[in-house]
Amino acid sequence: MAENILTSPAYRSKFRVALAGNPNCGKTCIFNSLTGARQHVGNYPGVTVESKSGSFTLNDMEIELIDLPGVYSLSSSSPEEAVVFRELTKAGIDLVINVIDSTIPQRSLYLTTQLAELHIPMMLAFNMSDDARKKGLQFDIKKLETYFGSPIVQTVGNTVSGVKVLKDKLAEELKHLDDHGVPMLSYGADFDEAINAVASRIDELDVARFRHIPARFFAIKLLEKDTCVMQIDEFKPAWSEVDEQILHLREKHAIEADTFMADRRYAMLAGACRDAISSTQEKRREISDRIDLVMTNKFLGFPLFLAIMYVTFWFTFTCADPLMGYIEEFFGWLGESVGSVWGEETLPFIRSMVIDGIISGVGGVIVFLPNILFLFFAIAILEESGYMSRAAFVMDGVMRRFGLQGKSFVPLVLGFGCTVPAIMATRTIESERDRKITILVLPLMSCGARLPIYALIIPAFFAAKYQAFTMWLIYLIGVLIALIGARLMKSTLFKGDGEVYLMELPPYRMPTFKSLMFHMWDRGRMYLQKAGTIILGTSILLFICNTYPEKQNFSRDYDTMIETAGEDAEAVTALENEKQAEVMEYTISGRVGKTLEPLFKPIGFDWKITTATIGALAAKEVFVAQMGILYSEGEADEESDGLRAKLRQNYSPLQAFCIMLFCLLSIPCLATLAIIRRELNSWKMAFVEAGGLFALAYIVTFVVYQLGTLLNIGTRMLG
Amino acid sequence: MDSLEKVSGASLAELPIGIKAEVTGISPQLRGRKKFADAGIVPGTRVTVEASAPFGGLIRVRMLDTSMALHRDDAAGIMIRELEVAHG
Repeated sequence: MAENILTSPAYRSKFRVALAGNPNCGKTCIFNSLTGARQHVGNYPGVTVESKSGSFTLNDMEIELIDLPGVYSLSSSSPEEAVVFRELTKAGIDLVINVIDSTIPQRSLYLTTQLAELHIPMMLAFNMSDDARKKGLQFDIKKLETYFGSPIVQTVGNTVSGVKVLKDKLAEELKHLDDHGVPMLSYGADFDEAINAVASRIDELDVARFRHIPARFFAIKLLEKDTCVMQIDEFKPAWSEVDEQILHLREKHAIEADTFMADRRYAMLAGACRDAISSTQEKRREISDRIDLVMTNKFLGFPLFLAIMYVTFWFTFTCADPLMGYIEEFFGWLGESVGSVWGEETLPFIRSMVIDGIISGVGGVIVFLPNILFLFFAIAILEESGYMSRAAFVMDGVMRRFGLQGKSFVPLVLGFGCTVPAIMATRTIESERDRKITILVLPLMSCGARLPIYALIIPAFFAAKYQAFTMWLIYLIGVLIALIGARLMKSTLFKGDGEVYLMELPPYRMPTFKSLMFHMWDRGRMYLQKAGTIILGTSILLFICNTYPEKQNFSRDYDTMIETAGEDAEAVTALENEKQAEVMEYTISGRVGKTLEPLFKPIGFDWKITTATIGALAAKEVFVAQMGILYSEGEADEESDGLRAKLRQNYSPLQAFCIMLFCLLSIPCLATLAIIRRELNSWKMAFVEAGGLFALAYIVTFVVYQLGTLLNIGTRMLG
Repeated sequence: MDSLEKVSGASLAELPIGIKAEVTGISPQLRGRKKFADAGIVPGTRVTVEASAPFGGLIRVRMLDTSMALHRDDAAGIMIRELEVAHG
């Protein structure tokens, strides 16, 4: 390569290496083994495809490793393929490691035939070589190396020694990048002729930004009408030649342009594999197939799926419960300890901000960390074992009726736990449109943080025999609106054909504990980051809003009145509460609530509920805490009977139901909005989502409240 | 390579479970033809339907030693020829 002359590899110490391969080929495993914790995860600009890079040192060489998304081909049939195409045709990648699932060489090497045409130095990692051996596959490595013009190493991605060979070979290869082999790929006489004709046209065009890639690569892509290459304007002058050649090939071979290259590649591979790969036995997938006879069975598949989901939830919520207790106790202890060490006289404002604002605010969120970690551990098991793709297969028929697809189901169910990880779990959905719709309806699945709100309100207003029903009804309303919403979005906003559905069901594999822990921590870390940033910030902000400005002059002289009341405890409490209410009304929260009250009156809210719903933007459970402060119950939680009594005095069951309805449907917490923005890569979508959900919540609550009032349902306490 | 005219007759959607067959062509009308071709659905590839999903829609097809899930509607655009059992 011309640009390498100045920075001859012998003197270089920094290299960019890309990892490419099919989905499920063990690429991520190799990536993790090579880079360890030194990773950076983000998104490719403009698409929801995850970009992952990491770095490691190898014999004094600093290597940046880019983990490209798993793809079957270098076409542009999916956003992932388009990303891989873009990344690899950009200049600046020194070497490509192509990871091959060596148990299915013929399929895996399909991508290799295209990568080889790029003429970037390449290494092939025949991964899962232990499985291939068990399957009885024997490779003539020398022959294959000559054929693809690239050195081959046989690896076992999930063991240290299995990756060492790869590292050694990589170190060797990086020393002489300039003399790498040439692949011996022939598409057959007629096709090669057509390719050469187009290639020489491209050479004449001499497009500067693609000078490092052989014209042959683009010629092949143009001949198969690849969308990405057709979009490159610089190649337009070559189109007439392309069309002429296609016409010619079609006449001669009677096959459509968009598939003939695929056809030729598979023919080439069949030949190469016959030549260099021998198999001593047939059956490897036997166990996997036997499991699938049950798991994806037409009749058993669905009940089994439900059972597995149930176990997942049981594991997530029941097993994490004791740990949550400990964390809760820890933060309680921390608050008390800080309170006792830090005297009330020294910086009282900062003291109470730290104790009541930061410790209780952040603590209230970190309490859910065990839930999140357990949930992701369970998901990692489902994903790595290969069951997730079976679940998608089983659920597809049902979900499709609502405009979603099989892979949407698991994230939606996770949404009952916490929307943030559920949205992250939508990454398994390849179809961009289905993924968008799933993300947008996800906040309607009532998350765990809304539970304290229901748990506070339901026992206060509804007789014991109706309590479970009311709870169930709230969840059901969320699910129904989510499904209807998905259906509507599919037929309006996201109309038209989605991507073609083609999904591999990889053989079942036993997940390794190491990689399970890795995945769990990888996602759990993000949650902690959120607690440390967003929640910390809003806790402080809310505390300030709830405290300032401080009221100095009261409408009545409460202090004297309280003193006069003296022994009468009841009167004292009443007076203290009244004073507290005046203090609250004077604060920023109170003023905002008062200002917005007219807007919320039609849905049955007073200014207090209004401020609490605003507070709930930080985290839904803040609603309960805020109501507690406003009704001066001090340390309110969902067990507060005092608060319940006050709520009963002030609101009707209809209003209570409307509060729950509004909290369910309205704008999700800021963490959710932040993750929506990140995952959809669009501020606009996040704002539209917030606005849309607010409008939905307002309209639904308005209708319910007005109808209820009109028909006199639930306007007075029952019993 | 088969000719376009011969793309008619039995489709993958009608292939009974467990019967071995060979792809003979892809209908020019099939959406995402290239994606299927890239996945190995080209004339000559051996295919077997392994199962069909509950609630309809998807079928899983074994080809090139992997199991792929696709829609029955799409499978209707993939033409096949059943192979003699003895042929294996």
